[in-house]
Amino acid sequence: MKLRQQRNAPMLYAVGSRLLALLSVLFGVSLISFAMIHLSPGDKAQAIAKARYPESQTFPTDILNAIRVEFHLNDPFLVQYFHWLKNFLQGDFGRSFSSGATVWEIFVGNIGETAILTVSALLFGLVLAFLLATVSVWRPGSFIDRFAVALASIGAAMPSYWLGLLLIMFFAAHLNWLPAYGTGSLSHLILPTLTLGLWVTASQTRLLRAFFLEAKSAPFVETLRLRGVSETEIFWRHILRHSAIPALNMIALDVASLLEGAVIVEIIFARGGVGSLLAGSVLSRDYPVILFLVVFFALTYVAINSLVELLQDLLDPRKGWSSSITCTSVNTEQTS
Amino acid sequence: MTSIETGHDHLQPQSKPSRTTINRRFKRSTLLMPLAVAAIWCSALMLTPYDPNATNFLLRLSPPSSEHWFGTDQLGRDVATRVLYGGLWSIGLALVITSVGAVIGTIIGLTAGHFGRAADVVLMRVSDSFFAFPELIAAVTIAGLLGPSTSNMVFALIAVSWMKYARLVRSLSVSISNKDYVLQARLNGLPPALILSRHILPNVLPNLLVLWTNGWSRSILSISGLSFLGFGVQPPNAEWGAMLLDGKTYMQTAPHLMIFPGLAILFAVLAINLTGDRLRDRLDGR
Repeated sequence: MKLRQQRNAPMLYAVGSRLLALLSVLFGVSLISFAMIHLSPGDKAQAIAKARYPESQTFPTDILNAIRVEFHLNDPFLVQYFHWLKNFLQGDFGRSFSSGATVWEIFVGNIGETAILTVSALLFGLVLAFLLATVSVWRPGSFIDRFAVALASIGAAMPSYWLGLLLIMFFAAHLNWLPAYGTGSLSHLILPTLTLGLWVTASQTRLLRAFFLEAKSAPFVETLRLRGVSETEIFWRHILRHSAIPALNMIALDVASLLEGAVIVEIIFARGGVGSLLAGSVLSRDYPVILFLVVFFALTYVAINSLVELLQDLLDPRKGWSSSITCTSVNTEQTS
Repeated sequence: MTSIETGHDHLQPQSKPSRTTINRRFKRSTLLMPLAVAAIWCSALMLTPYDPNATNFLLRLSPPSSEHWFGTDQLGRDVATRVLYGGLWSIGLALVITSVGAVIGTIIGLTAGHFGRAADVVLMRVSDSFFAFPELIAAVTIAGLLGPSTSNMVFALIAVSWMKYARLVRSLSVSISNKDYVLQARLNGLPPALILSRHILPNVLPNLLVLWTNGWSRSILSISGLSFLGFGVQPPNAEWGAMLLDGKTYMQTAPHLMIFPGLAILFAVLAINLTGDRLRDRLDGR
């Protein structure tokens, strides 16, 4: 009876409390983003006017005043915030100051490039990391193992912008094999994918290797070995499955950081995408676009993190249903 | 007072390593390498005959030679000297940023963990909200909106760095405050401030140190990255990221402009990472 209770009721509780926590974080995220834009120095009306009439330098006060009324710039902060939040929740993200197109249109036009880059880098990086980790746990301490670990350490310390520049210098400028800048054909994708993918390899090789090694010395693997199951079968059928949960967790967390890395890579290789869109909008002070992108990145990050936590609970039967908030508070009350 | 001290000393040996052991462990070899690097770096800074910003138009873009070990840049400045001075910016600023972030995070974490449920919920939700912003994206946005300058970059990076310390300090200190020796101290009537400073903080410190080392190397990457994107340290200041940005234009004619600052970043980050790994291994193995 107690067992059943533990399995079912806390699940709803965990999902519910996590959703509540998620909502409060989303509210905080939107408030921080809006405050960030609101508190940034410089006259917003001036920026809007400059974007609207690019040819003139100074603007008469009545035009600036009209803009202030149009964009509710004279209202108090909280009124402006809830006005924006209401529109945002209804799917109205505003229009770009500089191009006049809706923010959503601009975003949809750019997210594809970023998604392609992120996915291809993730695939490339994971395949390489998997190969390296597999080879290195085959004989721990061997030359190949040490090589893989060293490669991972160096890769983790490698600034991605520098790696990108080196790749451009070698493959594009020196050998002239691949195009350095721009978007379009498949060959444009190779160098950015390498830059971002090697970063994934560096961070995942060490983790995968550690997970594999841990599983390899687990008691159940020892039992299998004693039963005479071959090492190959142990690895492919048991160690891999055993390491899948923690590995999945770390990979999902890397996806969130990958979006971050994509920003820099897009800028170095002058690719289209939300990263270069963000940098461009920050420089031209296109507030609606910046606000939307910042909220988008934060939402993606939060969504991925929450999904990972839920997945972990789902996949790992030993862990049971827990919630980050309730669990700790219960523990403190019990013990103190 | 003395009775309180002895009351808790009984419990000390099993749950808390004595301070001298930790000191000895840290001193031996873990800190030796970074100190040696710092010493070599300082003496090189003093020995270099060049000024990092002195231009020499007769020697523009010259390749590495015995006079200029790393060559000269587009204004004839000595790249080796600039790389040395660049470390002051990158490593020094990163040190400032992570230290300030760690102090802020520790204060917030302790407040959340030990000053009531309301403070806990509010502070942790706030730090969760801040956590939701990917570090670099938030830093680019803040630094870009405030205007590209060194102080704005420092502000932006501190704003996105304190949360991990707050989380770590909160969860660790709460679990430590449930330990028997803290309970004993509480029963003996030790005031909360003393419990925090004498029993909880010293036990959080080793883990904090590992996270801080980690944050330090990440900050170096962020600082150079932001400067490379033009949002951080501005030219003509010799910062590694800013030097890369300068050197990018001369990629084909003078590759040394790009190679040496990049190598400097790589080595600095690698050295700090390795030190951090070692620190962690030592603390885990105690």
